[in-house]
Amino acid sequence: MIQTIDISSYSAITDAIRSEARRILSDSTVSAVIGYTAGRRVGTTQPIVITTADEADKLLFSAGCLNDLVVYLTKAKKDVPKSGRIGIVVKGCDLKALVGLLGESQLKRENLYLIGIPCSGVLGSLLKPSAELTSETIASKCCECTDQLPLGCDFIPAVTPAPLPDLEKRYATEIARLEAMTPSERWEFWKEQFSKCIKCYACRQVCPFCFCEQCLCDRNRPQMVEQTPRPSGNTAWHLVRAMHLAGRCAGCGECERVCPMDIPLNLLNRKMAKELKELFNSEAGFEVRDTGPLTSYREDDDQSFIR
Amino acid sequence: MSRIGVFICHCGENISRTVDVEQVAAQAAKMPGVAFATDYKYMCSDPGQNLVKNAIAEHRLTQVVVAACSPRMHERTFRKAVEQAGLNPFLCEMANIREHCSWVHEDREEATQKAIEIVGMLVERVKKNRVLPTITVPVTKRALVIGGGIAGIQAALDIADAGHQVVLVEREPSIGGHMAQLSETFPTLDCSQCIMTPKMVDVANHPNITLHTFSEIEQVDGYIGNFQVTVRKKARSVDEHKCTGCGVCMTKCPQKKIPNSFDCNLGMRTAIYVPFPQAVPNVPVIDRENCTMFKTGKCGVCQKVCGPGAVDFEQQDQLIVEPVGAIVVATGFELYRITEKPKGSPIKGYGEFGHGKIPDVIDGMTFERLASASGPTGGKILRPSDGKEPKQVVFIQCVGSRSREKGISYCSKVCCMYTAKHTMLYHHKVHDGQAYVFFMDARVPGKSYDEFWRRAIEDEEAVYIRGMVSRLYQKEDKIVVMGSDISVGVQVEIEADLVVLATAVQPQKGADGLAQKLGISYDKYNFYSEAHAKLRPVECATAGIYLAGACQGPKDIPDTVSQASAAAAKVMTLFAKDKLEREPIVARVKENGCVGCFACKKVCAYGAVEEKEIRDRQGNLIKTVAYVNPGVCAGCGTCQATCPSKSVELDGYTDEQIVAMIEAL
Repeated sequence: MIQTIDISSYSAITDAIRSEARRILSDSTVSAVIGYTAGRRVGTTQPIVITTADEADKLLFSAGCLNDLVVYLTKAKKDVPKSGRIGIVVKGCDLKALVGLLGESQLKRENLYLIGIPCSGVLGSLLKPSAELTSETIASKCCECTDQLPLGCDFIPAVTPAPLPDLEKRYATEIARLEAMTPSERWEFWKEQFSKCIKCYACRQVCPFCFCEQCLCDRNRPQMVEQTPRPSGNTAWHLVRAMHLAGRCAGCGECERVCPMDIPLNLLNRKMAKELKELFNSEAGFEVRDTGPLTSYREDDDQSFIR
Repeated sequence: MSRIGVFICHCGENISRTVDVEQVAAQAAKMPGVAFATDYKYMCSDPGQNLVKNAIAEHRLTQVVVAACSPRMHERTFRKAVEQAGLNPFLCEMANIREHCSWVHEDREEATQKAIEIVGMLVERVKKNRVLPTITVPVTKRALVIGGGIAGIQAALDIADAGHQVVLVEREPSIGGHMAQLSETFPTLDCSQCIMTPKMVDVANHPNITLHTFSEIEQVDGYIGNFQVTVRKKARSVDEHKCTGCGVCMTKCPQKKIPNSFDCNLGMRTAIYVPFPQAVPNVPVIDRENCTMFKTGKCGVCQKVCGPGAVDFEQQDQLIVEPVGAIVVATGFELYRITEKPKGSPIKGYGEFGHGKIPDVIDGMTFERLASASGPTGGKILRPSDGKEPKQVVFIQCVGSRSREKGISYCSKVCCMYTAKHTMLYHHKVHDGQAYVFFMDARVPGKSYDEFWRRAIEDEEAVYIRGMVSRLYQKEDKIVVMGSDISVGVQVEIEADLVVLATAVQPQKGADGLAQKLGISYDKYNFYSEAHAKLRPVECATAGIYLAGACQGPKDIPDTVSQASAAAAKVMTLFAKDKLEREPIVARVKENGCVGCFACKKVCAYGAVEEKEIRDRQGNLIKTVAYVNPGVCAGCGTCQATCPSKSVELDGYTDEQIVAMIEAL
């Protein structure tokens, strides 16, 4: 049965973001605010960087605000001023990525002004931007969301998000299906998926954690990963990606959203996250961690996976 | 263009038996970049090394591959030879065709093929080798000795006598260790205290020795020549500087019934105590677990009677950082407690011997205390249960030792001699008594040792029974020992008054934890491992750390003292230089690729990674990157493996070299 999701709070959130952005820009708390604005097609949104209080009314929040804006703080920072404190609009999932970057010395908390969103979910895709947010159209990551209210922000609109209805946990279901397979069946599944890859690297571009200035997969002395979009190179790329994100990925799901070939990239990330949770009781959250599960060693670490 | 020389070693027959070395040389000569290839019977010998040196000059070689044994064995040898011929030593690589090939294969044809491929990999690798300059680091000429038993005392005295500062750290309130507990020592039967205590006094009075007793190692940072060791000086509750050692506090302490572990719990001590009268330093310590003041907050008698006001109930643990250049580990041993079955350990215990249940079944150290003039009985052999003089004593050897089924397969080395000594001491003190010894075989090599053992049998009338004891049990006030005499094939039953077990020698509890702090390796029994069993027996594989005494394996006093002096000599060799040369196998950050996530800093076990700011000419910060301090880096490569952008390279093991090797296959 298709259930409608209550997003009536989004207009109040939009108003609150606008007034807060106006305030912090006019009293020079921040030099810029990164947020969402209306896209060209009705219902779509696009990221925007505003630097004056007058532009505050351009900001909005809707079910079409899919982007993880955190990536604008590290690499897609064309219009983001280099100095001064920056305001940024973050959903819970985005904040987890931001917190991860704080832990990896990529950002400094004192340079940020976080505007948190009490989120009720966003659309899975903008192919039908004006679609109503329902249990069908909602993004897969939202179905398993436990952090609708981001913690530790400088400002959060005083709105309580309506609790999500009981939605089908799509990743969990799919992971269970894959786990039930034999290793060779599972390998066939992923080989099939990776064979679709055209090496456009959109997943890399959009990922907040892919912040290396020179990706090791682009290096040629020595060449670590075959660069042409052939099966061996594709597989190597996706495995390197998954391993590099293990213990770090915040689950914003942007990689999966931007993939033009519909490779279920976040499914791989969720599986890795599940392993890390089971092995080291470690998962992405709102608290800055000094070391990740794979960059620390404890004597009582689970060693059972070594066979 | 590379002109590589390949030198194939026969290693006597070790390699040539399974590998056709001539064919390997012939194939190597055809490999791209190889200018010269040959084989020789012993490449590491003087003529072999000269062959390499001459070939470098004659064929104008630019790199060298020596196909022989493991680099652990002879990499140093050949790099030195190559250096003498004028090449940078790091342009020489070893291809291991012995351990990795000839020793593990039987088929000659296949082994030869594998050897050719191994050589091929190293040829490709050596093409990517870079000239590496030697790194020099300063040496702190100050040594740390861990453990104040005879090993630690000897090492500390030797180093201090050579004119270097020594920090001696002891866990117990006094130095002296197990040797201070012994009665008389084999093979001369001189009194242990008489030869030990003067050395302890020497330590206390030596101007070059700083003594930390009742202290433990908290943390070890740094590297050879430059260690920073944090010592936890536990709260003694008595000010060492004020205390005069008069002992009034001990006579007045109301808690008088605490078993004294120095006397193997046979005697009693007070809550404020020195373990034994000859303790160094002669400063008491308050056992806070048993002190009335600490338990109830009321008492303080010792404080009231202390003239100099040395008793301090408020004293806290102190952390002291000691900069040292070398470390001697001399933590010694403890006796296997046969009643215990440590969790997760292969050791299974000896419940059948009743140790811990039958009071008159004791271990060797307890017998030492009974026989010691300064012991709880004043040197009279009196059994613990009723204080009677035992007329029949059974000694059982190899309890725990040499028993694979019970978990310890090694020989504890000292028990044959000390049991022979025990029978003599017993015979000297109880003239009408009879000693029986159950033994597997007598292992008494060493100067005057066999004579000593024979004396026990021939002159001192000990009855040696070859065989093991199957069971013993209490029967009224006797202990019935049931065993077999395998030399005549009969069952033996002896009604003994006292049974003494020669229990196995084990490393101190917590030896593994200390090893982890020091970064040294240890075996499955937690004995510390030497770098080479024959040629480097006192060095650890970790540079700048040396071993002395029973922490490395069971040892008697003469062996321990020799090793302690050997370790001291190694420390003095190190301190003879002002600067140390280090292998330049260290990590290096490629700053253009580094994004400053500092994953490397988080995983570095040596604290070698620092943050470095990169600024433009105007001084504006461009970015912060990782920097590896080459003096601190141990070259383990963990940062290289962790770096997500592959911006750390380990010199000598670069990705380029490793990939070149893989691609050559």
